Amino acid sequence: MLTQIANRLLISIPVLFGVLLLGFGLLILVPGDPAIVMAGPTATPDVVEAIRQEMGLDRPVLVQFFSYLGRVLQGDLGRSLISNKTVVSELLAAIGPTAELMVACLVWSVPLGIALGTLAAVYRGSLIDRAVMAVSVAGVSLPIFFICLMMIHFVGVQWRLLPFIGRGGPLWTVEGLRHIALPALSLGAIFIGPVARMTRSSVLEVLKLDHVRTARAKGLSETRVILKHGLRNALIPVVTLIGLQAGYLVGGAVVTESIFSYPGIGRLAVGAILSSDFPLAQGAILILALGFILINMVVDILYALLDPRVQA
Amino acid sequence: MTTVEDAALDAPAPVQPWWQRLLRDPAALVAALVLLVIVLCAVFAPLIAPHDPYASSRAVMKPPAWSPRGDWTWPLGTDGQGRDMLSRLFYGTRLTLIIGVVSVGLGGVFGSLMGLLAAFRPGLDPWVMRIVDVLLSFPAILLGLALVAVSGPGAAPVVMALAIATIPDCARIARSIAVSVMKQEYIEAGRALGLSDGALFLRYLVRNCISSIMIFISLRFGQIILIGAALSFLGLGARPPTAELGMMAAQGRDFLLYAPHIAVIPSVLIFVIVLAANILGDALRDVLDPRLRS
Repeated sequence: MLTQIANRLLISIPVLFGVLLLGFGLLILVPGDPAIVMAGPTATPDVVEAIRQEMGLDRPVLVQFFSYLGRVLQGDLGRSLISNKTVVSELLAAIGPTAELMVACLVWSVPLGIALGTLAAVYRGSLIDRAVMAVSVAGVSLPIFFICLMMIHFVGVQWRLLPFIGRGGPLWTVEGLRHIALPALSLGAIFIGPVARMTRSSVLEVLKLDHVRTARAKGLSETRVILKHGLRNALIPVVTLIGLQAGYLVGGAVVTESIFSYPGIGRLAVGAILSSDFPLAQGAILILALGFILINMVVDILYALLDPRVQA
Repeated sequence: MTTVEDAALDAPAPVQPWWQRLLRDPAALVAALVLLVIVLCAVFAPLIAPHDPYASSRAVMKPPAWSPRGDWTWPLGTDGQGRDMLSRLFYGTRLTLIIGVVSVGLGGVFGSLMGLLAAFRPGLDPWVMRIVDVLLSFPAILLGLALVAVSGPGAAPVVMALAIATIPDCARIARSIAVSVMKQEYIEAGRALGLSDGALFLRYLVRNCISSIMIFISLRFGQIILIGAALSFLGLGARPPTAELGMMAAQGRDFLLYAPHIAVIPSVLIFVIVLAANILGDALRDVLDPRLRS
């Protein structure tokens, strides 16, 4: 088990390297002179020259890359051009809200997707099955921003049930929960479909297996057979699916946060890009990419823990 | 002992051509028709658009014609600047579809070539797969953010990001299909006949893999359209005043309370395009290549 986890961590090293290369590329490929861009429009030539030397822009690209690596590893991502705060402090303030949003999204959508998928599999071919499948095909075809806009329009504006701007506080407070409800519902809505679909086909596979027949032959109740012997084994591919969908989770969070003005990394990234705040944009994209890698790593490790057959 | 007659009785019924089987699936048929109409509207936008999509008028935020305050001069109403929604939809669909087709096409060609080469030349395989692994760790929307950060908002960086995001999945699927084709006897026969590598690759490998790869790409099309629309919605794609469906929905956001049709109509159109593409892709896969089902 430990060797597997170690192997998994080793595989991530080239990927991490690629992510850092991307972050470096973002700073170097910026149109025009990066030093002028970093210094901002009002800077004097002395300041630009100082930044050029500080960034080492007069040195070979390879040297620049390694000094960039060194700075990133020491937690120095530069300063935001707009707020003049360090990028790291801006990112630290936004990580918590984004993590909360992702948890709040998964905590309702994954169980609901699993329940719907199991129902569809158990009553295969029935009206329930067709309805669940139709909803899941429709769900993966809906633009996430449309779901967000409809939530704002109906739940927020017309029925005045929930707030739809910003964050109310930590997740454990009432205001925090009320504010996160709409973004989490919108983001979760795109998850139910894929999870239900995968659960359905996975449960159908498992119900055909010998151990399920044995459980039935022992005279266990059908509910017990499905829950203990069917669903439990069927969940393994579902865990993998969540890893595969992590990209949608990250991308969806970017859109959802922007629409609901939710102060997370995604909104920070979009705002920084639209206002040409390159250091901040670079830092936010780095963190989003790291988060994506981390989710995939956790999923792979969970996968190994859940399925004793994964030993190779 | 089986006689000749028995064998004839056991033989499977003659298989219908794929398009006949596809036509028997009502959902796929409707999806195909809907997509056809949408594509025709997009292609012939300049001919059928009732107004100039960029000309503003004083009739601002007119609701669609069927609502009480509506007017058949603007069948789907007007947007916040008094521009005709229907004409903008035709043009917007055009750009949305072009972005989707070009990026899926580019990514599909590059990705498939990588996968096919990896299967054809096993020496290349580990290299190709490492590149694929690294590419897979960048979700499409992040690639989009990164490219737009460097080059500024526009349709070109979005197309590039979506194309790059299509490459790794395509390469993986092309490789797995090509590996099984490479094991077939006709490949060995081709080699024995003394065919050059190029001929073997093009005439034997590519031809036998291409339909499965195309089906896989068609399954990706809907997702790519959605991500492209999301990037445009965030203001990272096509620049105003160009009409693009995602951006049109974003422009309607501020008028949601008074003129919901400005945001709702483009969003619903994106939904219909993606839904039809998904249904048709699923049906094509089931008919042509059930192996891809997993």
